[in-house]
Amino acid sequence: MQNNESCTYKEGPLPSCAPLAVPMVAAQQSSEPAYDSADALVKGTLFPGLDLPFMDYVASCPIENTPLAELMALDFVCQELALYLDTHPDDKEAFKSWKSFTALAKEGRKRYVEMCGPVTRSDTAMFDSWVWPEDPWPWNAGGKAGKK
Amino acid sequence: MFVYEKKLQYPVRIKNPNPAMAKYIITQYGGPDGELGASLRYLSQRYSMPYPEVKAILTDIGVEELGHLEMVGTIVHQLTRNMTVEQVEKAGFQDYFVDHTAGVYAQAAAGWPYNAASFAVKGDVIADLSEDMGAEQKARVTYDNILRMADDPDVIDAIRFLREREVVHFQRFGEAMGIATSRMDQRNVYAVNPAFDKTK
Repeated sequence: MQNNESCTYKEGPLPSCAPLAVPMVAAQQSSEPAYDSADALVKGTLFPGLDLPFMDYVASCPIENTPLAELMALDFVCQELALYLDTHPDDKEAFKSWKSFTALAKEGRKRYVEMCGPVTRSDTAMFDSWVWPEDPWPWNAGGKAGKK
Repeated sequence: MFVYEKKLQYPVRIKNPNPAMAKYIITQYGGPDGELGASLRYLSQRYSMPYPEVKAILTDIGVEELGHLEMVGTIVHQLTRNMTVEQVEKAGFQDYFVDHTAGVYAQAAAGWPYNAASFAVKGDVIADLSEDMGAEQKARVTYDNILRMADDPDVIDAIRFLREREVVHFQRFGEAMGIATSRMDQRNVYAVNPAFDKTK
């Protein structure tokens, strides 16, 4: 991936002479700058350069500070960095960052499972009985089955 | 193989039933530019894709789209849970209600059941990646249009998140196109289809 220091984080370099009839999107140059994990989740992207909302639809209310929201935010950063790495496999800084967020997400997951129940079916092995089917399921939030 | 996670990618917590909104949001579940088609498109295109980075991006975005399918299903479920027959009638939701009650069914806003004709697998690297970039734009516009009409902040918040994901995915497919075409014959990228023709 060629870098061009005259491009800001909202831009990427393109060749001055490009072939005809080939679609081109400027490549993102770096995984920095990046939002912090809670902000990234609320905005729907880790990267300020890709944060391109419709009209004035920006997040109006912050997400509640719960163990679930914390886990969602860490998993989201891992997902964003993974998609970035798929098309930038040689970016060592981004890989380092993905590794550290993956470790944080693993810890966050453990905390969440202990407090709230299994996330994956295999998490159920940490419990004394088959609690996997217990409500709430993800679509139950705010409803009768979601109350717990 | 897939492992299910008992959580959404982003919180969906809608307090008030509103079948009028469910009536058009359902299109992102089973409509022409919806999340079911998105996940099937990317996960199906993988098999003929020759380049490792592109196999990875199709897999990782395809799986994320399954998570978005679950989010849209959750939005429709929460907009229709606890609704009364009176609300169904007032919202003009009878056509859906008579067939599916308060269930979530894969259909377009106009009532057509999910149709695999809404996406393509051409088995050609440039054609498939161009389709994917177009698909992300069409889904983005569908979410833009939902935002023009939705008036519940709980719904707007989740739709806004889903819309932003389309922008990010477009960028990644664009980068994947750059990786793919850089490996092709630079004098004529259309000389062969590397997903079918044997190349050195």
